This record gives sequence, structure tokens and C-alpha cells, in this order.
Amino acid sequence: MTAILQLLQSAWRNPRGRTGALLLAIVAIAALVGPWLLPDPLAQPDILAGGLPPGPGHPFGTDQLSRDVLARVVNGARISLGVSVLAVALSVTLGAAVGVVSGYWGGAIDAALMRLVDGALAIPRLFILLLVLAVWERVPVLALILIIGATGWFATSRLVRGEVLRIREEGYVQAAEALGARRRRIIFRHLLPNALGPLLVAATLGVGDVILLEAGLSFLGLGIQPPTPSWGSMILDSREVMVSAPWAGIFPGLAIVITVLSANLFGDALRDAVDPRSA
Amino acid sequence: MGGWLLRRALQAVATLVVAIVLLFVLMRAAPGDPLFRLSADRPISQKEIEVLRARYGLDQPVGRQLLAFVGGLARGDLGVSIEYGRPVTSLLVERLPATMLLGGSVLLLNFTVGLWLGVRQAVRRGAREDRWLTTLSLTGYAMPSFWLGLVLAWLVGVEWRLLPAAGMQDPLLSSDAGVLARAGDVLRHLVLPVLTLSVVSIAATMRYQRAAMLEVLHLPYIVTARAKGLSERVVTWRHAWRNALFPVITLFGLWLPILVTGSVFVEAVFAWPGLGSLAAGAVGARDYPLLMGASLLVAALVVAGGFLTDVTYALLDPRVRIG
Amino acid sequence: MSAARWRPRLTVIAVLAMWCSSRAGAQSESATTTGIVIVTGQQATTPVPTLMEGAANSVGNQDVADQLFLRLAEMGPKLLTAGDRDFVPALARSWTRRDSTTLVFELDPRARWHDGVPVTARDVIFTFKRAKNPDLAPRVSELLRQITSVTAEGDSRVVFRFARAYAEQFYDATYHVAPIPAHLLDSIPSDSVSRSSFAASPVGSGPYRWVRSVPGQFVELAAVPDFFLGRPKIERVILRTAVEPSARLNLLLSGQADAMDIIPPPSVGRVASDTTLRLIAVPSSTMGYLLFNQRDPKNRARPHSILADSRVRRAITLGLERNQLVQAVFGSHGMVPYGPVSQLLWIRHRSPRAEGPNVSEARRLLAATGWGDSDADGTLDREGRPLRLVLSLPNTSGIRRQMALLIQEQLRRIGVQIEIQQLEFPIYLERRSAGDFDVDFSSVNQDPSPSGLTQSWGCTGGNNVAGYCDRGVDSVMEQAIGGRGDPGEKWIEALTKIEQDAAATFLYAPAFMYAVNRRFRGVTITPQSAWLSLRKWSVSPVPIVGRSH
Repeated sequence: MTAILQLLQSAWRNPRGRTGALLLAIVAIAALVGPWLLPDPLAQPDILAGGLPPGPGHPFGTDQLSRDVLARVVNGARISLGVSVLAVALSVTLGAAVGVVSGYWGGAIDAALMRLVDGALAIPRLFILLLVLAVWERVPVLALILIIGATGWFATSRLVRGEVLRIREEGYVQAAEALGARRRRIIFRHLLPNALGPLLVAATLGVGDVILLEAGLSFLGLGIQPPTPSWGSMILDSREVMVSAPWAGIFPGLAIVITVLSANLFGDALRDAVDPRSA
Repeated sequence: MGGWLLRRALQAVATLVVAIVLLFVLMRAAPGDPLFRLSADRPISQKEIEVLRARYGLDQPVGRQLLAFVGGLARGDLGVSIEYGRPVTSLLVERLPATMLLGGSVLLLNFTVGLWLGVRQAVRRGAREDRWLTTLSLTGYAMPSFWLGLVLAWLVGVEWRLLPAAGMQDPLLSSDAGVLARAGDVLRHLVLPVLTLSVVSIAATMRYQRAAMLEVLHLPYIVTARAKGLSERVVTWRHAWRNALFPVITLFGLWLPILVTGSVFVEAVFAWPGLGSLAAGAVGARDYPLLMGASLLVAALVVAGGFLTDVTYALLDPRVRIG
Repeated sequence: MSAARWRPRLTVIAVLAMWCSSRAGAQSESATTTGIVIVTGQQATTPVPTLMEGAANSVGNQDVADQLFLRLAEMGPKLLTAGDRDFVPALARSWTRRDSTTLVFELDPRARWHDGVPVTARDVIFTFKRAKNPDLAPRVSELLRQITSVTAEGDSRVVFRFARAYAEQFYDATYHVAPIPAHLLDSIPSDSVSRSSFAASPVGSGPYRWVRSVPGQFVELAAVPDFFLGRPKIERVILRTAVEPSARLNLLLSGQADAMDIIPPPSVGRVASDTTLRLIAVPSSTMGYLLFNQRDPKNRARPHSILADSRVRRAITLGLERNQLVQAVFGSHGMVPYGPVSQLLWIRHRSPRAEGPNVSEARRLLAATGWGDSDADGTLDREGRPLRLVLSLPNTSGIRRQMALLIQEQLRRIGVQIEIQQLEFPIYLERRSAGDFDVDFSSVNQDPSPSGLTQSWGCTGGNNVAGYCDRGVDSVMEQAIGGRGDPGEKWIEALTKIEQDAAATFLYAPAFMYAVNRRFRGVTITPQSAWLSLRKWSVSPVPIVGRSH
């Protein structure tokens, strides 16, 4: 654990990492408390005054249903961040499990798992998600998290497998094995802690990817269902008014850019901390 | 080498088979029948449904459909699209050039501008230029491609009217226009979609090249070259970059999925007549044969990309084969 | 960085800018040729009558087929489908009636196929033989089921015989299928026409002939110089495809296209601000409604636990400010229909106005059926169960999604909780067909004939997914179709019954705005097929230059 703390510290010392962390914190706070501070944007759509440009009453303007865009962007933060953090947690766990099994046991299990991973990686994730989501009649947020999480572990498992293969060759692990240490002890004491750094990097960068992915699915109408605001579905709604009320689409897009960028800046700083040569 | 190559090729084929089965199962597990959409806004009789089912081979059991599909695949026949009523292979062949043109241009930009910027960053590591380029490229990387596309089409295409907002060519361009005029026309239409896809993807190439270059710049022979008094430009490009280029080859495998997924959105936003927009439409319509064909083509490209990358890598660096 | 290093970059930028602007100039240059670029959402695949079956029965195909193939007669401006009087000559020069089941058409002797061969009675007979074959044309053959025979008397006279006397004989004989050339098709086996070179490059008798199709991009047509009803003044017609609605709009507003149908209502204002474009309101065949399931979605044998009571259904209708909904989503050109009637149906001209909102009456009806707010949470309940209904709609429809949100809001005021269920399109349809829904947000495109209403509102109708059944409605509709008495009056009687039963809440019957560049003159748009009258349009001799912004 101290290793992780050191990593976080050194990422914090990196100016870009710090910027990313601070921005991410702001988005997270907005997601947590924003919905209380700003009125529920769904409460009273005043249907005769839609598409107002940004102004005093509505800093980000209103959409074609005259809902306050700022309030919806803030409310959307909760969905986008929540979905991506949970989905990434799931996929990193799955990926680590498969990677450890594959790397440590090797042989036929390894070969079978890695062929499956190869096959799954050959189909773009978006295609898999489109097909899987079609099976569900109505996608509750929890199901969406599960599905995104369950389709995101392929690359992570490769990464962890590689780490496991590398660490296994290290003297101390071989010594532990020679001394007859139990498998579970080796996995949890030696293999996983040493793979934590790369995992953390993958997870942080994964958050950004999943936010983009969720936005893409919502943009295709397959993600979060209305009236729950999500950044992707806000952009979807704004397509037809891009020429008349561009603010309704520009602001949710900027929210995505800022959030994903800050996650990536922080992830980048973490990677530099894990592998200082690349800094 | 021969044995390794054979094993690697078999592995690629196995991957493709797994992908085909995965795709087929996923697609048929999804509820929704291509024929139901026909009753969307008008009544449809039982007789009509039966006739159409038989026409599209949907009256057969799923197992037999899979067999028929694999059999057809062996003959290079992917079946007939329900939506278009034409062979899937000819639809794919028609749309492939547009996607290749778009993807190829993006790749070209990435492997010229992206690599160049990546090298510059490595050379000026830690300087203001390096930091800004990192932040800028990561900002682009954080943009949803469809959003950037919508904004660019609106701003550049509609408000400023600098470039075409959508499409691939001017249909009114007279048929006796010269090759140059036609190429220019396509080029103008190409700018916005290529820009969109490049902005959201160039960060990957830049980061990769920067890291690879940094590795090399540490090596003693670079120090030697500098000590010999060679100019910085010669050291950077002649000596260092040559060796830093080759880890970047692995990017090719990484690249194809990004391009394909990105092009689904970007082609739709810009009405670009490629595979991405074809596939997007096929999902909504449950056009099984077309969707299957498109996914398969993409999977094959990804697998082939990975295979070629590995082979190239192995040719350049024999050590990989042992590992 | 020194100025010297910047200089080459500035040069590059300047050259690029010049290139961009010079090309923009070239764009307006092409506007002086007599061509028109029309944006469409679907590309034509097989625009050939008798082949437009299954997925090929699309607007994209119909729009092109209407230019390539001429019908025997076209509908008149009133779109009256009953009787023979409101039709206009096209391939047929004139017609007479021998008796109540026999109709005779005289073909225009000047009519030619695009390859120069005259159009004869043989072509018409050949066409109807194909069209009435249920294995080839399951859809059209069903529409033509009342036509018992089509025979020739000489080269230019065709005799139609019908199974019985009814109001829409003439409409059935002319609207559903336009003649196709027998001399080019009779050598091709009937089941392989769709893969033939004819389908790839069709030959018709209409004002425009086929030039080419560029996959995913556009279809090009060219004027037929010796077209017998007058040479079209616009020489080239491009139907340019963009599936994505924003891309269609961008093509229009960037000057890359001259005309577009169905402008998305929120963008009408932006299009209006472009002074080079003229907006035209066109009555549409679209009609949207909340369809109440009469049967339990999980067990079709049982009535629906909430919606089987017509008072609850009426309360929902009365609880909605429908005029406001239509105004908010469609602007000033939408209307609230009376009964399941789009603006395209002629019977709407005689129907009464739709009922306005009445919230207190809605509350009273709900209270009368035992719904009250015992736990004071704002949602009504009865026997411990809340008044909650699921509203299903496909995720492809922006209009329905927007309106559903407003409906959810308005019904909250009378204590009805609406849960919006947005489904992927194929799943939406599958569940709709299976009757698996509480309230279905339906949107249909209607044929000009009201006789199709029996399919959705008759007890045994093939599209009656909600299980609505009223014998009285059935018998009145039967009389209207049979043409005994005044069909219009009978139709209104049926509509009134359907409204009183609150079988559905009929929400919108919009007129859509079409945009056409102002340099085109004599622009008329026929609601049943947007570009049907294109051959009569002309191009202004003086190119209109200028931009609005």
C-alpha cells in the first residue's frame, strides 16, 4: 500500500498530474453536491420558451425543451462519473483475475483464455456492446455498468498476465515458491501488489475511455434512458438544433472533454511515476 | 522462422474463428426480427411475413443458418442484405474505398505529423513545447469524435462555409471535369472528417513515439554521435529516430479498432459513404447478413493487422520470436 | 521563434485559405446550371413498381420511382380517394365506367418508355399480373385484392374488373402500382428481376430517366427531353443521401443542397433565417398517438388492470394540453387530430375539432373509478397500487422522446405517473406487435385512403395491437368503404365513436416544413409524394446570390 501512496504522491508532484487531480476532484464534487445546489432540471420544463441562448438566468442557456443546460450538465456528471468509475472497477477486477490465472497457471488454461481474449479484442468493443445491449429490453444504470465492465477487461488481463509472467521470474518469487509458499500467498503477497502500479494506471486511463464509450452509446440512443440526463444523450438531443441552439450540445461536450482530459492527465502522471524513464 | 510463422498464422485463424462464433451467437441472441420493422407504420399480413422470411432464409433453424453462413463464407458469399436486397459482399466492396480513404488519410497524418511531433517532444523533453503538446494532444484525445464532428460541421461547414459540411463529392460536378478537379473536390470533402478523427486519435501516436524516442536517446551510441560533433538534427533523425521508429510499428495493431469505431460516428455525422455508416444502419435494422459481413470484415482487418505487425516486428527484431 | 521561421507557415495558411474560398465560389457557380440537389434520408435501392416489397418499400425508393414511372392517373389536389372524379390524367388520357364494377382506361398514344418504345395495354396487363402475384409482391397484391381482372381491348384500352362495388376502385387501380415495361421484363424470370440489370438501371415512362446511383451518396436522374406531358425544365435531379438528420440539415444550410423535406421542427427558425431558402408547409401523412392497451400485457386473455376502463383513458386525454404539446414540438403547423387522421386524409376536412384539456373533469373521472391519493405522495393509488403506466417508444424518434417528457410532466399534475421506456427500434416493434405494453407512443404514416383505418381500429384488424374492439365502429367503417351513402359522413361517425371510447389519445397530425432554394420557380409540393410535381418546376434565369449571415 505504501507503494501506491508513493505513486500518488509523485503523480501529485507532477504539475499536469496535479491539474488533472484537481479538475477531477471538482467534477466529482459537482457530481456529489451539484444536484442539491441546482434545481432539478426536469421539474418544470416551460415548454413555450425553449432554446434560450446563454444569459443571466441560464449561464449555459436552455435546450429545446427549455431545460437549464447547466443543471443538466451538472446532473449528468453524476451519471457519467458513477457509471465509468464502477464499470472500470469491475473490469479491472475481472482483468486482474483472468490475468493472474492465465499467467500463473499457464498451459492449456492460459492458451484457452488468451485465445478468447484475442477473439474478443478482434471485435471493436463498440460492436460487442451494440449487440449485447440489444438483448436487454430496458437498460437500467446498473446493467449498463455491468455490461461495460464485463466487456472492458480483455486488454487489462493481457497487461496483468504480462506483469505476472515478468514478476514470476524475479528471484524473490522463485525463492518463495522454492520454500513451498502457498499459491494464494504468492498471488496476494507478491504478484498482485507488484502489478498494482500498472493496474492503477490502466484504471485511471480506463475511466476516461469509459466516459467516452458511455457517451457514444448514449449518442446512439442505447445508453442511459431519459429523462435521466447523461452527457451523451444531451449531445444526441442537440444534434438537430446544433445549427439553431449550439450551446445545448457544446456544453455537455465540453464537460466530457474536461473530465476525460483530467482523468488522462492524472493517469499519465501516474504512468510516469510507475515508469520514470518515460517522464 | 517458418515454424514460428506457421504457429502465428494458425493463431490468427483461430482468433478469427472465435470472433465469428462470438459474433453469430451475440447477434442471434438479440431479440428483434428484421421483418418486424416492416410493420412499423403499416399492417403486415401473415402471408407477407412468410414470403419474406423464406426470401431471406430466416425460416431455417439458427444452426443451419450458421452452417449456411460458413459454407457461403468459404465461397466468398456473405448472403444477401435484407435492407438493400443485394449481396453483402458487393455492398462491402462498394463502401470499403471510402472508409479506406478516410482511415488511410488519418493514418497518414498520424504517422507523419504525429510521429514528427512525438520526436520533437522527446527531444525537448520537459520543455514548455513538450508540456503544451502533451496537454493539447490529450485534450483532443478527450473529445468524443461525434461531438467534435458536429461542432466542426456546424462551425466550418455551415456558419463559415469554408469547407463542405458533409458528403464525399459534389454531385453536380459535371462528368467531364478533369481528374484534378475531381480529386480536389474529394479532398475538400475529406478535410473535416479527417481532421475530426485525427484530433481525437493523434495523442496515441505522439505518446508512443515520444516514449520510444526517450528510450533511445538514453543509449550510449547517441552520446557518441553527439560527441562526434554531429548536428542535433542528424543525431535526432538519422541516428535516434531510426531505432525509435520500430516500436511504433506495434501501433498498427492498436490503430485499426480505433479507426473503425471512430468512423462509425464520424461517417454518420459527415454522411461519409463508408463502412461505418453502413454498419450503424445495419444494427438498427437488424440486417443480420450485412451486420455479420461488416463485423467480420472489421475483425479480419484487426486480426490481419495484428499478424502483420508481429511478423514485421519479428523480421526486424529476431529476439521477439524467442519470447 | 523568429519571424523568418513563421513566414513559410503563413504562406501555407494563406494558400489554404485562398483554396477554400475559391472552391466556395465554385459552389455557387454550379448553382447556375439547371440541376437540383435534394437531400434525402434514404437512398433508393430498387425504385421499381412491383419490386418495392419488404425493406424495399421505402420512401427513398418511392420518391425515385415516382419520377421514373408514371401512374395511369394521379390524385387531384384534394387527395380525395373515393370516387373517380378527383383524379388527373397521366399515362391514361381518359377513362369511362361501364358499370359499378368495370372501369376502362384509354392510354395516351404519345406515352413512350425511356428507350422509345410506346407504352401499350400489354404493359399494363403485364404489370398487374406481376403485382397481383402474392409470392412476388405480398404487399401490393394484398392492396389489389379487389381487382379481379385486367384485360386489353386493342393496344391502348385497358379494362379493370372489380370483385364488388366500392368507393375506392379508381384509387386502387391507379395509386398502388405504376406500369412497368413488358418488352424489357418478360424475358427475365419474375423472381430474379430484383437482381437483373433492369433493377440496377430501370427504364420507365416518367418525366425523368435513370442516370446512375453512387452507393451511399446519391442517385442521379436526367430529364426526358421528349416527355409527352411536357419537357421538364430542370435537367438534372440529384437525390443526395444523408442518414443522419444533422448532416441533412448541414447539407442544406451550407449550400450543398437545394431542397430538403421534413425540416426538424426546432431548426425551422434557423432555416427561415437563410434568405436563399423558401419554406413551404406540407401536410404530412404522419399521425402520432398514445395507444392504450385494452388487454393485460402479460396475459392477453385478461383486460388491462388500469386501462380497460374507458374513464381512465378519457381522463388521460383530458389531462393533456395537446395544443400546447403540438405547438412546443411542431410549432404553428401542427394540429391536434380528431380521431386517427393525419393531415393527408381528405376526411379530416369534415371532422369536428379535437377536445381541449379539462383537468378538473380528468380528476373527477379518476376519482369516480376509485383512484385517490391515500398516501399523499402526489401519485394516485387504488388498493395499495399506484397509478403508474409505462410509455413505450423507440429510441430513434426525437419527436416522440421530446413529447414523452412533456407528457410525463403534464400527467404528473393529475396524479398519473408515467415511466418512459425507450427501446431500440426492432425490440420496440417486436413488443408492440406482441401487445406487450401499457401505453404505446405510436406514430404511423397513413396512405391517402381512410380504408386503412380498419387495420388498426377494427376488431380483426391486422395491426390492432391494443385489442380495441367495437362492433359499432366496425360496421360503420364497412359502410364507409362500401360507398353506400356518403362515405365522408360514415367515416366521421366512426371517428366520433373512437374518440368517445378514448381508444387512444390522438396527439399530433403535423404539417412538415420543406425548404427549397428560391431560384426555383413554380414550386408546388404534393403531400402524397414530395417531389412528384418536380417536372413542372423551373429555374430562375437570374442566379440568386447572397447569404443571410
